[in-house]
Amino acid sequence: MLRKKAGKQRALRIYFATDVHGSEVCFRKFLAAAKVYEADVIILGGDFAGKAIVPVLTQDGMLRAQVRGDDIAVPESDWDRLAGDLGKAGLYPVRMHAAELDRLTADPGALDRLFRTEISAQMQRWCDMAAERLDPAVRCIITPGNDDPVDADPVIAAHPRVECPELELCDLGPVTMASLGVVPTTPWNTERECTEDELAKQIDEMLDPLPSGMPCILNLHCPPYASGLDDAPELDETLKPVIRGGRPSIIPVGSTAVREAIRRHQPVVGLHGHIHESRAAQKIGRTLCVNPGSDYSSGVLRGAVIDIARDGSCLDFLLTTG
Amino acid sequence: MTSSEASVPAGAAKAASTASTRLFVRQTSGLVRDLGIPAATGISLASVAVVNTFINFNAGLTDFTKSDMYLPLLAAAVIWLVAMFAYRYLLRAVPRAGGEYVYLSRIVSPAAGSVAGLGIAVVFTYVLSTNAHFAAQFTPFMLSGLGSAFHSTALANAGNHLTSNIAIAWLSVVVMLIVAALSLFSVRIVARIIFWLIVLQVLAFVVLIGMLAANSHADFTSALATYSNHPGAFQAIINAARSNGVVFGTSIASAVAIIPFMVLNYNGVLYSYYVGGELRRPGRTYLYASTISIGVLVVLWVGVWALLRARVGLQFMQAQANLSVANPTAYGKITSLNSVAGGLGYGMILSSDPITKILFATAVPLAEIAVNLAFLTVTTRVLFAQAFDRLLPVGVAKIGDRNHAPNVAIAIVLVIGIGFCFLTSLVNLGSIVALQSLFFALILLAGGISATVLPLRRSDLIQTPGMAEDARRRWLRNVALVGGATTILALFTIYELATHSSVYGKFSWESILTLVIVLGAGPLIYLIARTVRRQRNALDLSMAMRELPPE
Repeated sequence: MLRKKAGKQRALRIYFATDVHGSEVCFRKFLAAAKVYEADVIILGGDFAGKAIVPVLTQDGMLRAQVRGDDIAVPESDWDRLAGDLGKAGLYPVRMHAAELDRLTADPGALDRLFRTEISAQMQRWCDMAAERLDPAVRCIITPGNDDPVDADPVIAAHPRVECPELELCDLGPVTMASLGVVPTTPWNTERECTEDELAKQIDEMLDPLPSGMPCILNLHCPPYASGLDDAPELDETLKPVIRGGRPSIIPVGSTAVREAIRRHQPVVGLHGHIHESRAAQKIGRTLCVNPGSDYSSGVLRGAVIDIARDGSCLDFLLTTG
Repeated sequence: MTSSEASVPAGAAKAASTASTRLFVRQTSGLVRDLGIPAATGISLASVAVVNTFINFNAGLTDFTKSDMYLPLLAAAVIWLVAMFAYRYLLRAVPRAGGEYVYLSRIVSPAAGSVAGLGIAVVFTYVLSTNAHFAAQFTPFMLSGLGSAFHSTALANAGNHLTSNIAIAWLSVVVMLIVAALSLFSVRIVARIIFWLIVLQVLAFVVLIGMLAANSHADFTSALATYSNHPGAFQAIINAARSNGVVFGTSIASAVAIIPFMVLNYNGVLYSYYVGGELRRPGRTYLYASTISIGVLVVLWVGVWALLRARVGLQFMQAQANLSVANPTAYGKITSLNSVAGGLGYGMILSSDPITKILFATAVPLAEIAVNLAFLTVTTRVLFAQAFDRLLPVGVAKIGDRNHAPNVAIAIVLVIGIGFCFLTSLVNLGSIVALQSLFFALILLAGGISATVLPLRRSDLIQTPGMAEDARRRWLRNVALVGGATTILALFTIYELATHSSVYGKFSWESILTLVIVLGAGPLIYLIARTVRRQRNALDLSMAMRELPPE
């Protein structure tokens, strides 16, 4: 399968990574991937936003924080080093006084606003970094996932160097790409969720303008159901992993709407993420579906290199660990 | 990232627990409630086949003169305790499932991890076949026990016709086929099957301890005489062993040489690191769970060995194990008690009710099926990883549309495993156990090396942000020392295996072939895959393992 078709030449090389969750190291590696893998387009799938804020208390000329259960105290002059270390792991360090910490603890709304501010600020920095580091010939596409606040979309969309074709068709040359970060309802009630029926409708509406027979790529954050790209630990009603036979029980948690859309539209490639531990590539009909997985907490960038021919067919692919 | 709370409005954020923890966690997908010490301990203990200790006792008694198990059991526990600290740092660095393959990939290099991954896949396939072989070896004992429980001489006699090498090979194949058939069910059903098989073997072990404690040495000699229809069976076995040159007693050298077998005993006891990402305060929970598990196993195994020595006698166990190998005809004339069964066999003849007889008879085959079901899942996952790295065809990882099971991977493992079944049936039990010990020692070595180089290669993964330079150096030195100690202990285990010609050094073409296939498979498949892809002008494999510059 997917042998290099005789006589076909590569017209486009895509590098796809996803679920970096605020990791500065992973984003820098993502930018470096363009050169290392000689990619024409680099695509960062959804869930770019980090998950946690580390409040760094300013007190008597010292900075105090708690990381991985350890109490840290460093001179204020070490702020850059501390912030850099925390940012590498995808944590947002925020300097504050004890009163501010108490206020955030008591007021979920204020905390939510702080998260949104930090995430948008980080995205602005990342877009600027992309403009600074990327070769002008390389296209950089960033699309959101269910864990990303909608506030970050305009930041990407407004940046001249980065594209954010969410819910749009995007011309990549030999293929057209359609992107959607919404996922079916999760137990965590995240920002971009809907029912399977609504998801199916959104995908169909997005693909409606696509001329019949035009080769396309579906960049859908959620993987297709029971495809091997969507295996995750089963959780009980309290969100605790279910242990069976001495091991966490693993079940498929993907989307039936996505699977059905792939089965009907048969895109050339399906690009997915969402389930970090389910790094895999599977064929559904003629479609190659890829979930490169995510290992952002280790500072490792997992990705996929995909070669597309002039006629829009998929020549070859490789899952990468960098 | 984990949280101890859940369910807040969409997009909202919250404090992870209290202000004193000083960490605010956003409500995002993947946040799960943490597993505590009891759950982690359960995972560790369920990963160990407790009844397999009798196989290892037998291998030690058979392959070394003057064998005793106290020192080997305790020394092996110490080796795993040291390794536990190394894995604690690895868990902190890579708090996700994956094991040594992932550690090598992340910490040493992706290429080393990939090659090791292939080797581990082949090793695990070999382990599947050796477990099937153990189950097959216990089939005669099982039939004899079931015959006794159901008063069926036909069943009991059937066992006597299934002791040849070729019969054992075919029985191993049947066990492999049973495991493959069960693994085609959904993951949930397979997990339930594993759970109940584990419960049954643990129950058998506990009942055996109770039975040994409740009977005296005189009860045992009397029961053996009745079972064997030989009034002096006990002494006759000792005398026959003596006249066949078996030397009795204990020796430190033998005890040291047996340590690798007992290292194998504890394999699985640290497996709670596989759920490291879901543990509450991972480092602490993992240490507690692993220490408790090792402690429980030490008490169980040292306890059962002490009971066996007191009720059966060391001299008799040494005589029985060695006579049945050195002169099976002489042994067979005295008793039909299966010597490989060890403690379970002693329990069987002491037992007077059919339920316990059935429990003892089926304990090992059921345990091996449980272990193999778990191993098959792991093996197919490692094959998946290789397929996604394009070292194997992608079709290997194809998921069945109907049963959502990896049918192709299962078929491949089954075919290779059956091949190993025939190979292992031609090698003696001691060599099989030794080879298996070697493989797990090599895997432990991979873990030790990963921990040793962790401070050099990926110190960013383990050091606490903002740590002072002196403290940071001390911390990294401690990590390297613990990793180094694990590496040395793994090397010691390998050295012991390699230098005892009576067990492992007595190379035969079968054992050499097995070793070459298992250890050489990784690099060989990598080279073939890379060459083939180059000829097809496909994407270069080395690209998949190229490290990206972070700046």
